Amino acid sequence: MHTKFIRTAIIALIAVAAFQACKKTGTTPQTGNTGFDRTGMLTNLSKNIIVPGYITFQASVVQLDSAITLFNANANITTLGNVQAAFKDAYEKWQSVSVFDFGPASNENLRISLNTFPADVTQINTNVSTGSYNLAALSTLPAEGFPALDYLLFGTGADNNAILVQYTTDGQATKRKAYLAAVSTVIRTKATNVLNGWKTTYPATFIAASGTDVGSSIGQLTNELNEDFEVLKNYEIGIPAGTESMGTTFPTKVQAYYSKISLQLALLHLQAIQNVYLGGSGLGFDDYLIEAKATYNGGSLNDAITAQFATATAKLQALSDPLANQITSNLTGVTAAYAALQMQTVLLKTDMPSALGILITYGDTDGD
Amino acid sequence: MKKYFTVLSIISAGLLIITSCKKTHNVDIAPNYTVPTTYNFTNANYADATTRLGMATEMANLMNTATTGVVDGQRLLNMFTNTNSPFATAAYNTSGIQIKDQCFAQLQTDIPNFIDSIVMVSKSTQPASRGVAGIGASSVTPATKYPQTATGVNYVQIFKKSIMGGLVCYEIVNNYMVNGIAGSVDNTTVVPGSGTAMEHNWDLAFGYWGVPVNFPTNKTGAVYWGSYTTQIDSGYDANMILMDAFLKGRAAISNKDMTGTKAQATIIMQTFERATGAAALQEINEIKEALTDNVKRNSALSECYGFVNSLKYNPARKITDAQINAILALFPKNFWDLTPADIDNIQNAIATQYNFQDVKDIL
Repeated sequence: MHTKFIRTAIIALIAVAAFQACKKTGTTPQTGNTGFDRTGMLTNLSKNIIVPGYITFQASVVQLDSAITLFNANANITTLGNVQAAFKDAYEKWQSVSVFDFGPASNENLRISLNTFPADVTQINTNVSTGSYNLAALSTLPAEGFPALDYLLFGTGADNNAILVQYTTDGQATKRKAYLAAVSTVIRTKATNVLNGWKTTYPATFIAASGTDVGSSIGQLTNELNEDFEVLKNYEIGIPAGTESMGTTFPTKVQAYYSKISLQLALLHLQAIQNVYLGGSGLGFDDYLIEAKATYNGGSLNDAITAQFATATAKLQALSDPLANQITSNLTGVTAAYAALQMQTVLLKTDMPSALGILITYGDTDGD
Repeated sequence: MKKYFTVLSIISAGLLIITSCKKTHNVDIAPNYTVPTTYNFTNANYADATTRLGMATEMANLMNTATTGVVDGQRLLNMFTNTNSPFATAAYNTSGIQIKDQCFAQLQTDIPNFIDSIVMVSKSTQPASRGVAGIGASSVTPATKYPQTATGVNYVQIFKKSIMGGLVCYEIVNNYMVNGIAGSVDNTTVVPGSGTAMEHNWDLAFGYWGVPVNFPTNKTGAVYWGSYTTQIDSGYDANMILMDAFLKGRAAISNKDMTGTKAQATIIMQTFERATGAAALQEINEIKEALTDNVKRNSALSECYGFVNSLKYNPARKITDAQINAILALFPKNFWDLTPADIDNIQNAIATQYNFQDVKDIL
């Protein structure tokens, strides 16, 4: 009985050895400290940051959509003011969820559908006047989402009285109201679909994919965090400030050009990304890097990233809205903010993934 | 009895080791001749194939000048037939060979139409937009410009992909892999500098692939399919499959092993068709990287369309005309109208056709 057991054990060992020997050889990614509770981090992010973020965001776009319906039924200076306030609120809330462009959001192409800017004013006006457009076409992206609403609600006249005319006595007032409603419907529908995904099955999927491979939740989150950070760095600040056009500035290309809340949104955006990094008050990338004992220039990588978030925030806070005016009058200040964000990109895109054994797979929109 | 059992167990464990490792060994019936590791065969000569690829490159370069001015359509037509010394490379003008007469019949009449479209776009004074032919700049990298018709089609890309299908694949498949190694082809008389007629056919096929002799170790100067088999290598190892087959097939011909030759020819033909599907999927991923960049996205969609359409020029294709047309029907009539759903539909149709569902996102 005893020898039989040993024999079986030996055979089993040989079989295991044989199986191991045939395993595909390849480099094993460095996974940092494998003791880190990645499931706990994903649970925290899902439960305390992502789902609440989408609940708040979806409610804000439902509110915006209702305000537009009321405005379209009875356009006056009060209802216009209400729509504008609801728009600003929803655009602010959007900054908190822009980063989660995987899973349900990826299915809806949420980030590019809701926030491709600068808006194409010519296309918007053509769509309004012809009444013939397909908001599902990719080429229509610059004529929809928040940037289109930004133009329609704040850019169609010099002041609110002039804007109101566009929706009351103007020859195309009816068509303009229809377009406003159509754009808002797409935003509401997509936001609702994404929220439903996160309210039902997706959190379980998200938490279960707790590895560090390309398709894992940490892998996707790291990639999207970086891609979204580059939206902030390049599209909200860099491109308008001329960093990709040898100094030729494009102030009108900022986010929220017409409502003039560009800087405020950029700060909220940076804060949101920082919050994901920190995992709020729970487990986040910061704890993961600490566990992995990741270093940078002899110090801790987490300290370097945390400090750089503070630096970038301070550089942005030194500016004021409208950001487009700052690009004209205080370009040095704007490019200083850009430089701080650029520095953080290196830490988040190169040092952090390599310390955690995560691959950056998204296309480089950085031009470098 | 006990001992006997132990011995048996060890033998079976040993067997387990062997069988469990089997997958990694492709048991070939070893030929009784040596297959070299680079394409350095005696008398190998494929200068004509290299020349024709060079002519196609000059044509594409001239077409691309559409982004800076009106394209000389007559010169492009002259290049196609090599008349009136149209090439900058003087040796091409005096080579006595041309592209047109080597193309699949349908492509011979299609190319002048492509040229007309490019010339028309190059004459436009307006930037490309939906319904307007002209030159468009990438919104992300404005220095990169593309000529596009009113429906967003970049005919320079259609031309290039059609050359890959209707010249390169057609020549390899039809003239060299089927007719070129038929029993009637001389494989006895060695012509100095080009080998037997059959060896020369095989060499020309290799030359059309557009890779260096020590590919894929060395990828320098790889053009057309030589470039694309590398681009799709992340998901489909066409580089190794083709190099291996070209080397084995050529060695087989020189050693009068016709069974071996035909087996390698079959591999090459099937690989070029599957590689076309893989290349079309690779373009889908380029489209996904440029979703908000209208003209760049349209151009990548043109490449994808060009690859699928080019399958029509492959006489050895497994895909039917009806299947090709069903995939092409998934493209929007106007490329500016492309939706995310269209992209998924096109990607899934091609991936299913060529069994690439598992790797469609990494090609």
